[in-house]
Amino acid sequence: MKGLLIKDAEIMKNQGRVLLLLVAFAVVFLGMNRDMTVIFIVSYITIVLSLFTASTVSYDEFDNCWLFLMTLPVTRKRYVQEKYLFGILLTLGAWCLANAVGAVLMVWKGMSTDSLEWLGESTAVLCVAFVFMGVTLPLRLKLDAEKAKYINLLVFILVFGGAFLVSKLVVYVPRNIRQTVSALFGDMGNQGILLLSAGIAAAVLLVSYGCSRRIMAQKEF
Amino acid sequence: MLEINGLVKHYKDFSLNCSMKVEPGRITGLVGENGAGKSTTFKAVLGLIRCDGGTVNILGKAPGELTTEEKRRLGVTLAESGFSTYLKVKDIVPVLDAMYPAFDRSRFLNLCEKHRLPLDQYIKSFSTGMKAKLKVLVAVTHGADLLLLDEPTAGLDVNARESILNLLREYMEENEERSILISSHISSDLERLCDDICLIHRGSIILHEDTDVLLNEYGLIKADEEQYRELEKEHILAVRKASYGYDCLTDQKQYYRENYPGVVVENGSLDEVIAMMTGGEEL
Repeated sequence: MKGLLIKDAEIMKNQGRVLLLLVAFAVVFLGMNRDMTVIFIVSYITIVLSLFTASTVSYDEFDNCWLFLMTLPVTRKRYVQEKYLFGILLTLGAWCLANAVGAVLMVWKGMSTDSLEWLGESTAVLCVAFVFMGVTLPLRLKLDAEKAKYINLLVFILVFGGAFLVSKLVVYVPRNIRQTVSALFGDMGNQGILLLSAGIAAAVLLVSYGCSRRIMAQKEF
Repeated sequence: MLEINGLVKHYKDFSLNCSMKVEPGRITGLVGENGAGKSTTFKAVLGLIRCDGGTVNILGKAPGELTTEEKRRLGVTLAESGFSTYLKVKDIVPVLDAMYPAFDRSRFLNLCEKHRLPLDQYIKSFSTGMKAKLKVLVAVTHGADLLLLDEPTAGLDVNARESILNLLREYMEENEERSILISSHISSDLERLCDDICLIHRGSIILHEDTDVLLNEYGLIKADEEQYRELEKEHILAVRKASYGYDCLTDQKQYYRENYPGVVVENGSLDEVIAMMTGGEEL
């Protein structure tokens, strides 16, 4: 597994200019836009960088490299494990970088925020990034690059579109139900909601890992 | 080292049904035209495709049961696959170091220098020959017991092919228990390298013979109509109509030279054997 991790890290290092450009774009964007919140930048950097995990599968697929990789001392199970480990490490690294960039920007622009609130929002972003990874990885393993691109786009549209629709339609939900749900989340408190988010992310990752294992076990090269 | 018994794989317009063996200490060549089933055989042997029947025994196990440790004993090159071309040679050195405890880093780097493979350039910028050499260098520098080489010399000029064949000869000289299964379109490469040759045609092995026997005992009889009628047919493997009469492939050329002095009997070559066995008519 160590060899595969090194391979993906080397590919990422070689393609790093694109990723650094994305980070630089975010910093410049915040610098120019006074209304942009730091948490947006943290979300942007974390999620964009974490999506590189699925891109490493594309690099493996490009030029039929997959075929050769499976002849190396690597089992299909180890291959899947490596992708998830790489994804988790990359997402955590991206999240740390994003928070560091966010902190520098806040000092630079003289902004102030409640540190606990920032930590809470930032941790929720981390959970969202893990959910995205959990959804995109098995799709990328199952489908070829072209199909996966459209499916990923569809997933984004469904998630964000769904969230938008819920926020708009919530006013039509009977008041007593809204009050009950609101009270439920109120009782949970910020810590409870964060724990729930972490639980959902962990569950998605576990189910996703199981699906990826099955996909790779059945794959013909 | 490797034994394939009645391996069956069905595709929509092609079926593989093959049996063959690679003995320890030997280099076995697999020849056949495009689409004959060479790459499918390699994929099946490596467990990259599911088979519909038969068995493959590689290093004493079915391909799907090979452990990481056992896969380290294999060195593989595939016709259209290798390390990501977005890597540089210097990037794959630590990968090989981590994957193969027996990886000979200094030998690999020396061979890269000898074969003029730049360490600091993306593989995608390499020529076909450089990519092919890199694949073979990776396969021969980690102490593998069995090399499975699918078309390692395809698309290369004569010098590049010769340097690859020399690498393989050196690999075999290091340990007499090692084996190689190699496929190629270029029969002259296999004639000079292999101990035995398997000819695959339309998914089946139609000939398995020692290279020495092929070159020394096989021959091509060129006979006119009358000579052909009088020929003893027992030792004729295949016949092809020619402008002057018939070309006949035999595995007993000395017999025909001694008993039919008026008939032209040419020495056999792998190209002739392939052409006759795959294009000629079997008697």
